[in-house]
Amino acid sequence: MDLNETPQQAAFRLEAREWLANNVPASPLPSFDTAEGFALHREWEKKLYDGRWSAVSWPVEFGGRGADYIQWLIFEEEYYRAGAPGRVNQNGIFLLGPTIMEVGTPEQKTRFLPSMASSEIVWAQAWSEPNAGSDLAGIRSKATRDGDDWVLNGQKIWASRAVWADWCFGIFRTDPEAERHRGLTFILCPLDLPGITVRPIAQLDGDTGFAEIFFDDVRVPVANTLGDENKGWSVAMATAGFERGVSLRSPARFTEAANRLVHLWRTHADPNDTALADEVTEAWMMAEGYRLHTYQTVTGMLEGRPIGAESSLNKIFWSEMDVRIHEIALRILGPEAELVEGSEHERWVDGFLFSLSGPIYAGTNEIQRNIIADRVLQLPKGM
Amino acid sequence: MRFSFTDDQRLFAEGLRDLLANECPPSRVREAWDDGTGHAPDVWHRLGEMGVLSILVAEEHGGMGATAVDAVLLFQELGRAAVPGPVLEHMAVVAPVLAAIRPGVVDGSWIGTIALDSEALVPHAAIANGVLGPSSLLENHDVADRHAIDGGRRLAAIGGGTRTPFDLDVERARLAITLATSAYLIGLGERMIDIAADYARQREQFGKPIGSFQAVKHLMSDALLKVEFAKAPTYRAAWSLATGASTVDRDVSMAKALASEAAYRASRGSMQVHGGIGYTWEADLQLFMKKAWALMRAHGDVTHHRRRVGAAVLGS
Repeated sequence: MDLNETPQQAAFRLEAREWLANNVPASPLPSFDTAEGFALHREWEKKLYDGRWSAVSWPVEFGGRGADYIQWLIFEEEYYRAGAPGRVNQNGIFLLGPTIMEVGTPEQKTRFLPSMASSEIVWAQAWSEPNAGSDLAGIRSKATRDGDDWVLNGQKIWASRAVWADWCFGIFRTDPEAERHRGLTFILCPLDLPGITVRPIAQLDGDTGFAEIFFDDVRVPVANTLGDENKGWSVAMATAGFERGVSLRSPARFTEAANRLVHLWRTHADPNDTALADEVTEAWMMAEGYRLHTYQTVTGMLEGRPIGAESSLNKIFWSEMDVRIHEIALRILGPEAELVEGSEHERWVDGFLFSLSGPIYAGTNEIQRNIIADRVLQLPKGM
Repeated sequence: MRFSFTDDQRLFAEGLRDLLANECPPSRVREAWDDGTGHAPDVWHRLGEMGVLSILVAEEHGGMGATAVDAVLLFQELGRAAVPGPVLEHMAVVAPVLAAIRPGVVDGSWIGTIALDSEALVPHAAIANGVLGPSSLLENHDVADRHAIDGGRRLAAIGGGTRTPFDLDVERARLAITLATSAYLIGLGERMIDIAADYARQREQFGKPIGSFQAVKHLMSDALLKVEFAKAPTYRAAWSLATGASTVDRDVSMAKALASEAAYRASRGSMQVHGGIGYTWEADLQLFMKKAWALMRAHGDVTHHRRRVGAAVLGS
């Protein structure tokens, strides 16, 4: 055990810090869930890509730096410390990208990864359906084989970034006879094809961060299949593992939020309110604990102990922590916490609203608790 | 940056787990409660033979000369088995500092405990050869048993005896015992969850194992979450102690706050899963729960340590 950074890691941190200091926009970009904000975030991603910072953990040949997990965590820490923009293509770079690297063909890697790293193509996730949420295996949207094409029909919902994204990755039923998890196929599909209708859904914060996608006889080449036909469930679970595990929610975001909370406490709270001080400390300990836990996890991964169902523990932890950090901030702010515009603190109420999606997306926390009980604690399967 | 244990560290802990599975099952812990000693001399002897008791003793005094990072997984394993007697006090504080003048600490033939704050409620005093305080070592002491909740950690008032002046580094001792206790609490939490999961697989109601019900699954998943997320902070605290990091006070307090909370949640969740049998003297769960309830308050409770972290993080 050595919790000090190596000279190489420290140098990497410094390089990232300097680049970010010179390149992060001086004022925050508008939300990427608006047309203007989306375009500006795409430009920012291009800038990151040109500096080879958009996908640091990817191989060099696809636009990354071949960084290991520890370096990736260091980059994330610097990224959030610098107050850099949100990652508009995170569904691509952090979820689909690693999945393509794991199960994609060489042609698919060459075709999809560089344009993903540069955000020339921004990706939306198209998994849930009106009747397939927590029960994701209940997917009904189907893909029917016709020559060298799939013909897609059905409806997806809660597709993040779909309003302005270029492509989506979805799971479709390809064998109507097969039961549930079997008979699903993972398909990549442009969002501008004939037969596709995207209908924005206003989120809790009023922005259109997600959408419904309707597929009406949409034709995509069979070459757009990721992984084997009828094996889409296992491909999707690999993606979900990345999502719940370490890739989408690196600790840096929460460390940064906890540090901002401490700052808010110092500048706005009554120091004699010991109960409030206890709450702020608790939140800081959660963020610090999550950071330490993640360093331990990725060290294990580097030493050949891959993360399994334990990733569900991470998902519950970070999502509940995020809500908690924001609840405490709103408590400190008092009535000003209600202001959604024109307040220097509006980021806290925005963040609170966003944090409330955490226990729901990427598999609800109730589903995660079932997974932990079944696979980690080995309790008998229930309903 | 390498946040993991070496194969040797892991193997030693696994070896200890195997030893304790054989030598210190719940039935042995219960005997130590029932015979009124709160101590298992046979287990203690084996721990001495294996080098566990002297892991933190310098090599020049016959110990293993290891650090808190080497020892932290052992404390966790001792907790998994709820080993009775002064393992924490002896290993973390007494043996390392007294080995030069009381060499029996190395093989455990001389048993030590500590009284850092008060002589009114001293753990394991009745079976200890000596009690180490801030400024003296007390031997041949008189004891008055105080009937504590954990039969494997009897508390006694002490007095009389002979005192040898000893200048203990109290702050260092406090950090060492607090870290050891944190790791032991994590082991207790793990074991209580294992016991409850076993029970939930066996016990049937409504024609099904109760572990198949979501209410039970979620209760247990939440308990596991607390225990798992207390581990990395505890291991980090061990590293901070071993390396003399400037954040060691904060880090040890964070470990104790999280481990205490985790063990308590595990005790409540595990007892609830057991239903009526969880409220009996007969169920082995009590051996672990009562140890957790004692240790979660020993050397500072959750609030005490959270406030120490708060003082470091929030500033004054």
